[in-house]
Amino acid sequence: MIPRASPSPQRSAVDKRRAAHLLSSSTGLALTIGIAFAIVVILILILSNEPGRAIYYFFIGPFTKAYYFGNMLNQSIPLILTGLGIAVAFRSSTFNLGGEGQAYAGALAATVILLAMPTMPGIVGIMTAVVGAVVIGAFLAGLSGFFNMRWGTDTLISSFLISAAVILVVDYFVTGPLDDPASSMMRTRAIAEQFRFLRIYAPSKLDVSIFFAAALAIGTYFFMQRTHWGYEMRMCGINREFSRYAGIHVGKYLVVPMAISGGFHGLAGSVTLMGTHYSCLKGVTMGIGWNGIAVALIAKNNPIAVIPAALFFAYLDAGARAAMLHSDVTVELAKIGQAVIFFLVTAQALYGLYNSRKKKVAA
Amino acid sequence: MAYLEMQGITKLYPTSGVLANDAVDLTVEKKEIHAIIGENGAGKSTLMKLLYGLERPDAGEIRFRGEKAVIKDPLAANRLGIGMVHQHFKLVPNFTVAENVVLASEPMKKGLFIDRQTAIRDVGKVIEEHGFSIDPKRRVQDLTVGQMQQVEIVKMLYRNAELLILDEPTSVLTEQEIERLFETLRSLIERDRTILLITHKLEEVMRMSDRVTVMRKGRVVADRETAQVDKQELSRLMVGKDILLEVHRAPKTPGEPVLELQDITISVRGQERPLLDKVSFQVRGGEIVGIAGVGGNGLAEVEDVIGGLRRTTSGKVILHGEDVTCLSPGQLREVGLAYVPADRLQRGASLPTSVRENCIVTKHHDFLRAGVLKGRSIREFTKRLIEHFSIDAAEGMRAGNLSGGNIQKMILARELAADTDFILFSEPTWGLDIASSQFVYERMLELRERGAGVLLISSNLDEIMGLADIILVMYRGRVVGRLENAEALSKQTIGEYMLGLRDDSPCEPIASEVRRG
Repeated sequence: MIPRASPSPQRSAVDKRRAAHLLSSSTGLALTIGIAFAIVVILILILSNEPGRAIYYFFIGPFTKAYYFGNMLNQSIPLILTGLGIAVAFRSSTFNLGGEGQAYAGALAATVILLAMPTMPGIVGIMTAVVGAVVIGAFLAGLSGFFNMRWGTDTLISSFLISAAVILVVDYFVTGPLDDPASSMMRTRAIAEQFRFLRIYAPSKLDVSIFFAAALAIGTYFFMQRTHWGYEMRMCGINREFSRYAGIHVGKYLVVPMAISGGFHGLAGSVTLMGTHYSCLKGVTMGIGWNGIAVALIAKNNPIAVIPAALFFAYLDAGARAAMLHSDVTVELAKIGQAVIFFLVTAQALYGLYNSRKKKVAA
Repeated sequence: MAYLEMQGITKLYPTSGVLANDAVDLTVEKKEIHAIIGENGAGKSTLMKLLYGLERPDAGEIRFRGEKAVIKDPLAANRLGIGMVHQHFKLVPNFTVAENVVLASEPMKKGLFIDRQTAIRDVGKVIEEHGFSIDPKRRVQDLTVGQMQQVEIVKMLYRNAELLILDEPTSVLTEQEIERLFETLRSLIERDRTILLITHKLEEVMRMSDRVTVMRKGRVVADRETAQVDKQELSRLMVGKDILLEVHRAPKTPGEPVLELQDITISVRGQERPLLDKVSFQVRGGEIVGIAGVGGNGLAEVEDVIGGLRRTTSGKVILHGEDVTCLSPGQLREVGLAYVPADRLQRGASLPTSVRENCIVTKHHDFLRAGVLKGRSIREFTKRLIEHFSIDAAEGMRAGNLSGGNIQKMILARELAADTDFILFSEPTWGLDIASSQFVYERMLELRERGAGVLLISSNLDEIMGLADIILVMYRGRVVGRLENAEALSKQTIGEYMLGLRDDSPCEPIASEVRRG
């Protein structure tokens, strides 16, 4: 073959392609959000007798009262944490679809620990509960990673299946042995006063853990970009063949990112418990696992960008709640909006994945 | 008017800058078996892809049955009556033979349902007509490799292909199956079909073809009647004339062995022939050992074994006196391995990340303070490499934005920075321009001068003959020749070893001679 030395047109072509890709991905995101909003507006127009009012409260409502605004921020906390968990896993090309079960199990673990030792000092109890929740989440997700390393089981499938089973087990404990007979709801007894996170924005439920979540996002960014583990994890995520060739233990990085991801989910579960609900309800964490995936995809797996992405998701929810209270629409509106976003964002991400695979095959 | 005429066919792959076909002319007469031979990368597969519509030519014209043909995809090729049997079969394992054959042109019932009975009957008819022996109702996954190939041929015949392209059809077949295939091809010729046979096996060309076109480096170098050439001449045409590289190799007495392979064997279940068959050799300090061979004869496997990326069935690898047979790539690097891989875009570099991150990957442990990477010393280290190896790049640039030559320089810089006494180069100049190649050669000679052992795996005979002190030739997973690179050694001799015409290996059993026919 005759090699041709013509790097410059080649390089400019690559740059152009890259710019086009960037453009398409950011316009793609704007388009996604635009479509989601458009669908919400159309639904309001169809379903509401007072669409003007509903639309106003949907978009502006969350900013009209401290209560709404604070609750919106509060809702973003677990989403930041699960979003981080997913971002770490996806960055490393491991896929954790078991966030729901991991978060729920984390919430249960924290509950059990705090109920078992109601007289511990606040900070000790909180720390113990957090560690317990993180460990159980990390274990559940790490298991999928381990199966993948050992037998090549797809983590996407195994984490989902394990989680699906775990949810039922946790349900059993919450509604069976740990059920609070005094409450008419399916929930455990409440945790002691000293374990509840400090609320900082009365009358809303916003608590101090939002600062920790934000700090964790920054910490995760630093971890991924600058530390030894983060570097190896990213390298394995981008190109496993290259990493193996260069001497990185690639098997380890099928397990570690999953465990970290599970740890974040467990943490999210325990934070919801100690910050918002104070007792483990049946299905207390429902949705934060799946929404974490959407948050991470919107953030393009960038830990810092997870914060605005989580806020955006919480905003959709808060808007729907405000619209519900002040007009005649129901909260399902937000769910539909979130579902549309989830659908479009996932489609976009999968399309990118599909394209890169196709390119690999063609080469 | 010839049956098929390809004129001035030119194809450039812009991403790698490789001119795969350079004004290629090919003329094929009706009812002939026309062989196209050449080394890997000679451009024969590209030419066939253009003919079958898998790629579009940048220039040139195809005339089929006297008419200008624009073949934009395989379906268009099928419509014209051109069919291709790929080297790697494209079959659905859990479909039946008939289902595979009719796939994408299924006979329909009431315009909605697939007419299975008709499919089985029609396919059965094609199978019978051509004397095949496969049951159209069997699932493809239950067939032997030879039968799967028959299914592929039947698929083309079912689509009324008159011109059949067979890409390396014998590479996966046993001797008996090869015999069967040859009979099939003959009977196809009697039925007015025309066959284009792509191969690099001289034996088959001599036995089967009426005409042979030899390609080298994207060009046609010869077009002959098979009856008028012999194997020696073909092999000479394939490898080309001796070209002296502009490198100066000072005489040097080699030192202690740094790498030794002892009887390395890799057997794969279900395959008759091992991928590597008792491969033994050593590389001493201050010498360059070159391994030559046509692709698919074990070169890639040797690379993988030494790189620690592939487990061996038996045998030992000894590096710097230590048994490293079962060590991981990371552990090997600690013992003292540097390795420039053949696949530099997937294995040797991580294109979406920065040059910096590419440069530190093998030694990032050295840049840690309490588990955190030291940004400044990494930047300085990378800048030093960039300067030292005159890489046209900035340290923060995405590696994928570099040209092919600069990516290779980056890999080279990283591997040489490890400062090991053994280094493996696999296809180090593939696709590089002259200047970059020269740069690589100079670095290799510097290593030799410094007393390091260098193993050079390459399908480029010119560079092996220009650089190596010892030349090993591999054929079918075995080392068939170990030659001192002296004046008297000609390219033709090496070529004959490469193509299995010569064999010095002691363990060559007579049976395999018979098998090769």
